[in-house]
Amino acid sequence: MDLTLKVWRQAGPKEKGRLVTYEAKGIPEDASFLEMLDIVNSRLEAQGEEPIAFDHDCREGICGSCGCMINGRPHGPGQGITTCQLYMRKFHHGDTIVIEPFRARAFPVVKDLVVARSAFDKIIQAGGFISVNTGSAPEANTIPVPKPNAEAAMDAAACIGCGACVATCKNASAVLFVSAKISHLALLPQGEPERERRALAMVAAMDAAGFGHCSNEGECEAECPKGISLVNIARLNREHLRATVRK
Amino acid sequence: MQSVAERGTLTAPRPAVRGTGKHGVMAFSSILKKVAMALTGLGMFLFLIGHLAGNLLLLKGPDSFNGYAAFLAKIPLVVPVEIGLLLLALLHIASAVSVTLGNWTARPQRYAVKRTAGSSTFASRTMWIGGLVLAVFIPLHVWMFKYGDHHGPQELYGLVMRSFQNPLIAFGYAFAMIPLGLHLSHGFASAFQTLGINRPRLRPRLRAAGAVLGWLIALGFLVLPFWGFFGQ
Ligand code: HEM
Ligand code: FES
Repeated sequence: MDLTLKVWRQAGPKEKGRLVTYEAKGIPEDASFLEMLDIVNSRLEAQGEEPIAFDHDCREGICGSCGCMINGRPHGPGQGITTCQLYMRKFHHGDTIVIEPFRARAFPVVKDLVVARSAFDKIIQAGGFISVNTGSAPEANTIPVPKPNAEAAMDAAACIGCGACVATCKNASAVLFVSAKISHLALLPQGEPERERRALAMVAAMDAAGFGHCSNEGECEAECPKGISLVNIARLNREHLRATVRK
Repeated sequence: MQSVAERGTLTAPRPAVRGTGKHGVMAFSSILKKVAMALTGLGMFLFLIGHLAGNLLLLKGPDSFNGYAAFLAKIPLVVPVEIGLLLLALLHIASAVSVTLGNWTARPQRYAVKRTAGSSTFASRTMWIGGLVLAVFIPLHVWMFKYGDHHGPQELYGLVMRSFQNPLIAFGYAFAMIPLGLHLSHGFASAFQTLGINRPRLRPRLRAAGAVLGWLIALGFLVLPFWGFFGQ
């Protein structure tokens, strides 16, 4: 299939970027979106041009590295997939595809489609963990966990931190991400002791990074490749309120 | 090697949740600002239900409506309620301004192409516009009917009906009820979510309840200027 790509090219964080048009001819339908970019890049390199920089690692939807805006949607058309799981058969011969980096004040562009998501790391460092003196892993059944809690925690833990929620939110809010991390730990007995400190510290780190507020539209939930639910955001709000009251 | 205590939360400084906010007055966490907005919004929502119920007495004629107004003037509840409403409105607006400015600065560079996944609504996307219209409408409205001439013929009923004879006032009033309906229809479910009240099966119900209640209130108010203009 032949495609027209409009790709955001930006040489560096301080440089001015712009959309550059490329003709991508003869792209196989079975190529993944990232493989399509690989093909375009090898042609660019053959012509002595700078290849398009984009993030990727596992290419199987589990690491959360990949991600860009494809025709105005994070990870492109379709639900429950990351950019690396998007296949060119979703598009048609002759289509124009606009490819932009995830945009947020807290996610500055590093180069082309690559953005720095270290704001997420800072949020995790602020409290997205459990403090323990690690030894060998304890026997799994020493701490009983009610089945519904285990399942809800597992659903929240599915978050891969790709940033699609921030990218699509009209306010560039990070609450879906933060709520997934908060829920995952707050629902388990191991997370209980640090529950309040965590709910304050992670929100403070989120605010310091310059993300927007939640308008409760639910666009993040609809675009999340892992289907993280808005119910987690309600839990984050409860956890934060509870911690504020008890502080 | 670092000890656990150095690395972990054990010695980490307490987070500055009440640190310096970027937008001046409200130095609260992003979530607390939304909680303030939700509580004050729901407070005003409750008031509007009562306000509408009272105002619909206009349809029953001067005696019922003026009787209701006289009854309100007699009980010593009016002044505290007025002060309370003023505080609710000011707090709602202060947090709304702070939140909206924060949202605008969170994405300095816009997308060339942006599509919705279909979860946002026209109402949810225009909350600040509706809020702005209400922020202009509410003071005008209070000024016109609270401080207008009550003591002419037919007292308050007469004042309202005379005002609605003016097409500018009648249609302006009716027009302002559209952003009100939009604002309330998203605001209701949104406030519950902000307050942490949500479960998988509750959400669609809250959204539906918000849309129905919000538009019922707006339509209820919308009847009055039309009644005043066409009805007599
Ligand atoms: C007076 C001027 C007003 C302004 C400037 C204003 C502004 C706003 C704004 C900007 C939001 C935020 C929406 C978002 O985060 O996307 C909001 C939410 C809300 N507003 Fe207002 N509003 C006003 C009046 C009212 C009135 C009169 C009511 C009720 C009768 C109301 C009820 C609500 C509710 C329930 C919310 C939802 C809170 C939440 O998202 O958790 N507002 N308002
Ligand atoms: S590259 Fe790992 S999720 Fe896409």
